[in-house]
Amino acid sequence: MEDFERQLRDALARKEQPPLFEAKVFAAIAESKSKRWVSWRWEALAASLLALAGFWAQHEHAVRDRVAGEAAKARLQLALKITVTELSKIQRTVRTTEE
Amino acid sequence: MVFSLAYHFLRDRGAAEEVAQDVFLRLYRKMDDLEDARHVTIWLRKVTSHRSIDYVRKRGSRFTIALEDTAEPSVTEQHGDPLLNRRLRQLIATLAEKPRMVMILRYQEDLTPEEISDVLEMPVRTVKSHLQRSLAILRQKIERSMGEVR
Repeated sequence: MEDFERQLRDALARKEQPPLFEAKVFAAIAESKSKRWVSWRWEALAASLLALAGFWAQHEHAVRDRVAGEAAKARLQLALKITVTELSKIQRTVRTTEE
Repeated sequence: MVFSLAYHFLRDRGAAEEVAQDVFLRLYRKMDDLEDARHVTIWLRKVTSHRSIDYVRKRGSRFTIALEDTAEPSVTEQHGDPLLNRRLRQLIATLAEKPRMVMILRYQEDLTPEEISDVLEMPVRTVKSHLQRSLAILRQKIERSMGEVR
């Protein structure tokens, strides 16, 4: 049995890889790297577009907030103006009635 | 090791190169996850074995080789009887996929049944049974075709 197993070891001894095999592997790796670079560029472009859309949405939101803020401020100012006018009226009425 | 494993299993130089190239490409992508040289060797054996078996399964009946016609890589036989070695390789190629890979891992890579069980993800008991059965079949066939094995 041991002899037969030795014969099997001889028969299945490691075979050398063919010449140029390494070069082919490196070429395949280089090709895959370049494909990945192309795919990476598309991914980067998509990410940039997404980021741009995000910034734009944020900017729009900020503009809307500013407009809303200004409108609120104007309303407050108007309310205060009305209040001051009303207060003056009341003050005038009180003065008139007291006099 | 990678080319040789694929070659002994597939018995086709072009197919073995294709599998080996794919394995190294996978290794390149996986390199960062592998801790040390020993881990790389274990990973290479595992992936080469599974890729070689998949290669035959995917091609099915289209991947049948006329064993007598296969040209072997031009390496001079270092040990033993070249004729007997060639006949043994031809007979090993007739074994079913899993037992064939078990034999190659055992006698090319000198792995223990436990190590083979880890590579092929099968119970040690199954590995031992494949080994025993394949040895008996090969012994019987070689005796029939070449006379008493020394």
